[in-house]
Amino acid sequence: MKKRGLDLPGERTAIMPASLWKRAVAFIIDLLVIDLVIAFPFRNILDKIMPIISIKDAYSYLQSHPDISIKMNIVAIIIGLLALLYFAVIEYKTQQTIGKMFMNIYVKSTAKKLAFWQCLARNMLFIMVFPFILLWIIDPLFAVFTREHRRLSEILSKTMVVGEYPI
Amino acid sequence: MQKQSMKWVVIMVVVIILFVFSLIAAGIVSLFFIADETGKTGIGNVALIPVKGVIMAEKGSGFFGESIVSSTDINSFIEDAGKDSSIKAIIFEIDSPGGSAVASEEIANAIKKVNKTTVALIRESGTSGAYWIASATDYIIANRMSITGSIGVISSYLDFSGLLQDYNVTYERLVAGDYKDIGTPLKKMTNAEREIFQSKIGKIHEFFIDEVAKNRNLPKEKVKEISTGLFYIGSEAKELGLVDELGGKEEAVNYLEKKLNTTIEIVEYVKNPSLLDILSGVFDEKSFFVGKGIGSAFFEKSRTASKVEVWA
Repeated sequence: MKKRGLDLPGERTAIMPASLWKRAVAFIIDLLVIDLVIAFPFRNILDKIMPIISIKDAYSYLQSHPDISIKMNIVAIIIGLLALLYFAVIEYKTQQTIGKMFMNIYVKSTAKKLAFWQCLARNMLFIMVFPFILLWIIDPLFAVFTREHRRLSEILSKTMVVGEYPI
Repeated sequence: MQKQSMKWVVIMVVVIILFVFSLIAAGIVSLFFIADETGKTGIGNVALIPVKGVIMAEKGSGFFGESIVSSTDINSFIEDAGKDSSIKAIIFEIDSPGGSAVASEEIANAIKKVNKTTVALIRESGTSGAYWIASATDYIIANRMSITGSIGVISSYLDFSGLLQDYNVTYERLVAGDYKDIGTPLKKMTNAEREIFQSKIGKIHEFFIDEVAKNRNLPKEKVKEISTGLFYIGSEAKELGLVDELGGKEEAVNYLEKKLNTTIEIVEYVKNPSLLDILSGVFDEKSFFVGKGIGSAFFEKSRTASKVEVWA
């Protein structure tokens, strides 16, 4: 039986660079997931290494305990590497992350098919050592001031975040 | 739709794997980072350092599984609290029968050096070397029934020469230096050796009395009079001037709040178990001590005369 009805054209969409606010919300959702999945098991250790709450107390405590700051750095590096794996593996496998799925945006290679090295490279801001740590400042600036809202890591890794927008 | 649900499956698998990785990584990190570290059990302005067990220079192992507290650990806590600007005072929670004279003096010296108000809180017992430590603090609080004092020195040991004789085992004496094997339990002590031993113990006793008199601001003659090695219960110790106040933790907090004019929040300093402690905890501690402890007690004493211990 042939279905009857009007054969109207579907909504036309175009793939365009994802908007900044969508990317920001997606990133916050991913950070929440990382906090819950990756950082949570380290919370007890961090509490024991440095049982200080206020920033002022923490600063004076770290000043008088340089060994503690080294340990804090090591824990930060481990959490950062696991976060890097979270983004790189999931983006490589699905082109998205949990945050990006909620915001309906995804990662695309500007060259050929998305490769794993590209996924690693675009998330190298999670390597918590110098000079990668500078990307926490440089990357958002690039995202704000470039036409396609691409972070420096994205330009270097030949990737971009896109979304489908109605036209 | 199928594709979307597949994506979620992949994401969930990766997330679960990463969570397991994080747990393992956190476990490994905690073994290396928290082990052998000063563990603070919260945030506060008064450090509580427990001095519980027999006082020794190093942790090692007690012959019969008794609890050991090392002066190295206690001194590192004192140093840590001393450096911490948020710590205004230190309470030493003492429950110890004493121990090595050297270790006791090491702790007492560290207490005197630290630039904080110090309080000794004697629980069940704070005798001998433990009292030496308490005397170095600014203020001593003990329960009226706590056992304290016992200002004396002991270096007694078992003489096995008779037992060896019964089993027809002879001690073949090979020494260079007449007193090299002084204190060995495998031969009877000579009168000359006994005199030497006694004089050295006497000297250590003198040091102990001097320190208590100086620390407690008591006349040396008075301290000498009560330094028979006899223990005193808290109420007696208070009358003798060995203790400042009868009470417990509440009194210690009240004293510090009055003295520092601030609200007291206590943070306990504890030694976190080392990786070795955790692993050895798997085995039965008692059987370990019976095997190693008794053997070394007999053997090490017989092998090295210099191993004779002086306990305060």
